[in-house]
Amino acid sequence: MKMDYTEKAVTDTAGGGDTTLPGKRPLILEIKGNSLDDGPGIRSVVFFKGCPLSCRWCHNPESKSPGPGISHDPAECIDCGACITSCPEGAISKKNRYFINREKCTLCYSCVETCPSGALSQVGTIMTVEEIAAAVGKDIPFYKTSEGGVTLSGGEPTMYMEFTAALARSLKALEIHLLLETCGLFVYEKYMDTLDPFIDMIYFDIKLFEPAEHKKHCGADNTLIHENFRKLYRNYQDGGTEILPRTPLIPGITDTEHNLTAIAEFLSSLGVTKSALLEYNPLWGAKCEKIGEENPLGSGKSRDAWMDRDHVARCRRIFLDRGIEV
Amino acid sequence: MLLRSELRVEGNMTAMLQFFFFLSLLLNKKQIKQMSKERTTETKELLKKSPKERKDLSAEVNSRKKKLMEAERIDPGVKFLDDPYLAEYTIDDFPRLRKFLDIHLTKKPEVCPELPSLVTRWHREHGFETDAEGNPWVPALRKAGAYRYLMEHRKPLITNDYIIAGSTTSREIGCVVYPDGSGTFLWNELLTIPHRTYNPFDISPETRDLLHYEVFPYWKHRNFREWVRDKYNNPLSQQIDERYALYFNWKQATISHTIPDFPKMLSLGTSGIIEEIRNELSRGNCDDEKQNTLEAMILTLEGLTLYSRNLANQAALDAENESDPDRKKELRKLAEICSRVVEMPARTLDEAVNALWITWVGIHMESMNAGMSLGRLDQWLQPYFEADMKKISDPDEKRAYIKHAVELIGHFYMKCTDHFPLTPDLANFYFGGSSSDQAITLGGVTPGGNDAVCDMTYIFLKVTEMLSIRDPNVNARYMPGVNSDVYLKRLCEVNLITAATPSMHNDSAIIKALAPMGYAIEDIRNWSATGCVEPTLSCKHLGHTNMQMMNMVAALEMTMNNGRHPLTGLDIGPRTGLPEEGDFGTFDEFFNAFTEQFKFLIDSSIDYNHKLGEAHQYIRPTPLLSSLIGGCIEKGRDVTMGGAQYNSSGTAIIGLADVTDSLMAIRKLVYDEKKISFADLKRAVNTNFDSDPALYAMVTRKVPLFGSGNDEAVGLANRIASWAHNYYGSLPHYRGGKYTTGFWSMSNHVAFGTLTGALPSGRRAGKPFTPGLTPQPSASKNLLDNIRDVARLDPVNMNNNIAFNVKVIPAAGDPQKKIVEDMYSYAKTYFDLGGMQMQMNVVTSDILRDAMAYPENYRNLLVRISGYNAYFVTLNRDMQRELIERAEYGM
Repeated sequence: MKMDYTEKAVTDTAGGGDTTLPGKRPLILEIKGNSLDDGPGIRSVVFFKGCPLSCRWCHNPESKSPGPGISHDPAECIDCGACITSCPEGAISKKNRYFINREKCTLCYSCVETCPSGALSQVGTIMTVEEIAAAVGKDIPFYKTSEGGVTLSGGEPTMYMEFTAALARSLKALEIHLLLETCGLFVYEKYMDTLDPFIDMIYFDIKLFEPAEHKKHCGADNTLIHENFRKLYRNYQDGGTEILPRTPLIPGITDTEHNLTAIAEFLSSLGVTKSALLEYNPLWGAKCEKIGEENPLGSGKSRDAWMDRDHVARCRRIFLDRGIEV
Repeated sequence: MLLRSELRVEGNMTAMLQFFFFLSLLLNKKQIKQMSKERTTETKELLKKSPKERKDLSAEVNSRKKKLMEAERIDPGVKFLDDPYLAEYTIDDFPRLRKFLDIHLTKKPEVCPELPSLVTRWHREHGFETDAEGNPWVPALRKAGAYRYLMEHRKPLITNDYIIAGSTTSREIGCVVYPDGSGTFLWNELLTIPHRTYNPFDISPETRDLLHYEVFPYWKHRNFREWVRDKYNNPLSQQIDERYALYFNWKQATISHTIPDFPKMLSLGTSGIIEEIRNELSRGNCDDEKQNTLEAMILTLEGLTLYSRNLANQAALDAENESDPDRKKELRKLAEICSRVVEMPARTLDEAVNALWITWVGIHMESMNAGMSLGRLDQWLQPYFEADMKKISDPDEKRAYIKHAVELIGHFYMKCTDHFPLTPDLANFYFGGSSSDQAITLGGVTPGGNDAVCDMTYIFLKVTEMLSIRDPNVNARYMPGVNSDVYLKRLCEVNLITAATPSMHNDSAIIKALAPMGYAIEDIRNWSATGCVEPTLSCKHLGHTNMQMMNMVAALEMTMNNGRHPLTGLDIGPRTGLPEEGDFGTFDEFFNAFTEQFKFLIDSSIDYNHKLGEAHQYIRPTPLLSSLIGGCIEKGRDVTMGGAQYNSSGTAIIGLADVTDSLMAIRKLVYDEKKISFADLKRAVNTNFDSDPALYAMVTRKVPLFGSGNDEAVGLANRIASWAHNYYGSLPHYRGGKYTTGFWSMSNHVAFGTLTGALPSGRRAGKPFTPGLTPQPSASKNLLDNIRDVARLDPVNMNNNIAFNVKVIPAAGDPQKKIVEDMYSYAKTYFDLGGMQMQMNVVTSDILRDAMAYPENYRNLLVRISGYNAYFVTLNRDMQRELIERAEYGM
């Protein structure tokens, strides 16, 4: 039986039995501690599962779908065969392209339980606000010394506005600095009413400027994203939550002179003076296979290579020339 | 061969080494050829693995010295430095230091014949067991007589163009041979020592002949090890030690490991101390031992005075022969200084530093250069620095004087490298790359509990940063809530620039650890690191803090095998049962069996320690040291007899993380979840897990380890540490006082690891244990889990300190200031959480691999082993690989 993981199903199944909160309930992909690259200081990053965009280069492909999944890491597998015998559906075979036949798999996770090496793992866990707060709360002393905190990332945390707001409220009660990493696709008013009061800083992605391009590579229109950025930036200028626009440099897709110039012009027209460029990191390629998917970028030299220093410098120059520090 | 138990010897080891020397007379050409062949093959292998030199990596390490931070003066004790970080200076401002450093890094040490020759000559004339008249010698007086003769007749040397007079040996860089201790351990290597791969020493044919014909035969039975063997008929406790796989007791070489009362020497001089002793003698309540002990002290202090007078004369003579006018002036000044100190109190920083050095040389002429430590030099020199600064009013002159102070301390550091401990090849295996570990302690709080950071603290840190040398071993104390962020950040900056030093300590945890010992709080607050990291109460404590290296993992192996140690085949432990026969119904029964086996090893090692302690009382009393340790003069007892105000001996227990993880695997998989049987686990361990890869995967992946943030694992680690602390602490001590427990390993986690089979934790046979009590690399991907878990260990059980290694790697292109901030955040939070000690290595595995293949680009690349620093390129291959395999955490 193939289970249904539409938005509705997520609402119904992933709430962990907690009915006190309205709205959709997320699965948590991972809580990563000791992150030094996701905002100021030492931070813990809470990765939500599920995203309204589906960027082809997404470095966390397992975070795109909101539903649970199963991952098989061939590098960890010791080939003991225990999972094959344990699977009630006969969904596991070395002959399968991605080891597990996800059509047959019912996500009962008996193979995960059996696997001695940890090569098989559940992707996405139901966690309550309290559980997340306890997990990140143990590092409060580190946040304090380093002026760090917690980063809400994903996936897309604003897909679960009520849950995220409840989480943010309880972390704020622990005096934790909160940073939101977002793709920008959400209902502005709802965000302002529920989540923004608890957020100290926003990292806001602007990936591709041309709507058609955006739709092609990210799977959705970007009009609302631009609109939201415009409003949030104005809000920031009026003393609201600090916001930093960020652009990932994806070879041949976002790192074109055409795209970067358009973004820089856009930002400059709003009075933005500081932005960030995220260099392409090629070390994500194997992630798709683990969750049984083709890599949407295909394979090739540019996918697997680090970026050229001079090229990055040229990309930066486009912003610097328009008075934007990157 | 000896180590792997392929060869066994019984009886006099010195005689065996003598026999090996004769063997080597026949075979040395072949041996030397073999050594060189091994090296060539190895180098070829390495170059094959790293065919391209990575100049970018070596350049990165060197470039750290060029991006210096500045800071405001906010520490209350800093009175004269406008920028306490002294960012305006680099080593290029001190050409002499650069030259000394170059000599240090390139010059091969030479075995120095001076001490063994003079001491043996004196004894041949005056006797050892009995004096010339045939009366039994009082050991202290015999030692003092020989010492005075040595100090009077040894060569007074002012080497190169140092502004400090005196030297430890008669060679530029010399290796001291102490024939009453470990000197004879070198016998079999006299022909091959210049050719060996690790730590080769030059040796002249004359020295070789002298040692072989004159010195070693005289001391063949007159050394600690053989004295015990002769007196106690080769006791079992000694036999176990000499299998080198279960424990190693340091007293067979030396006691050393203490902090002499330098403030006393600086403020009174030898004349003042002699006066104090004479007053004590004139009180008239002296028993024979007191009378003899005090007279012996006077003789040694006279010897030290004679040496400094000889230095004064030599400096005057050198000044006359000197053509360079600047140097002539310096030598004249040195002549003046040495005619004042050490006899009279020091008045200036130059006099104080020279007095300190002369005393240091004197102490090393009395007992071995291993772990003897310098203490709180910033505190003790600050008054002299202040007095000098107050005499200057002109700002330019003030600046020049500060620069002079930096240079002077720089010369002192480099002087500390003029000697090298004698290391038989076996020691390269156990203590590879270790120098004599002359610990200096900086910062922290004063005896009254106030902020102790001062101008001299930062001057020492500047020198540490510029020189990046392994020894002196710099230890910095930090008291949360008292010491400033500016200070802690500077420690991190120096750690980043030097890649490995200083080691950082939390005063509040040390105070917690030592408070139950019943020491006065003012004395605890005045603690200094000794040797590697161990706390000693400065100036009044003989705490032989490196009494032994104890392989706790051996106890676990013996528990798995009903008392038999697998590698050595020694079937010596109590019969506690066989796990595969179901002899342990519960985990607690197994744990109790483990403590039974451990108890057996501890008892045995302590038996040997007491016997060696007795050997020291007879063979090597240390009257000079005793005159500089509080309590000895009043009591009229040598430190070896328990004269010090405070007494203890400290152990270094190796393998806490490995034992905890193994016990976690047993508890969880065998007893709690019953996923595997003990018989299966034992079979897997016996086959190095080759028979059962699924079980291997399970123990390595499904068991929460110490350092993963798991409460149970931390609880178990505390339980083991607490048991060890309580048991050691319950044992009587031959000098009075207690046994203390530490969890650091020098490099024995590699050596003992080589001699240990596979473990239930999944660690494979022969692989290193983790250094100190550092968690396994696989415990967690998150460094904070490691930091939190180590901070949760109870300091009370770790009163001989710990070594927690952290390998952090800066992200390429991050500004140095950000890296320092990140390191600071780790260290500060760790200390706020109660963590005791931490040492960071700031190098990547890529750098280390490049250094293995191209050592010439990394001559002074410093690494922290477990408690001490070493130059990576001088380490044996196993240790190099262990450093590479340590978990590294990106920043």
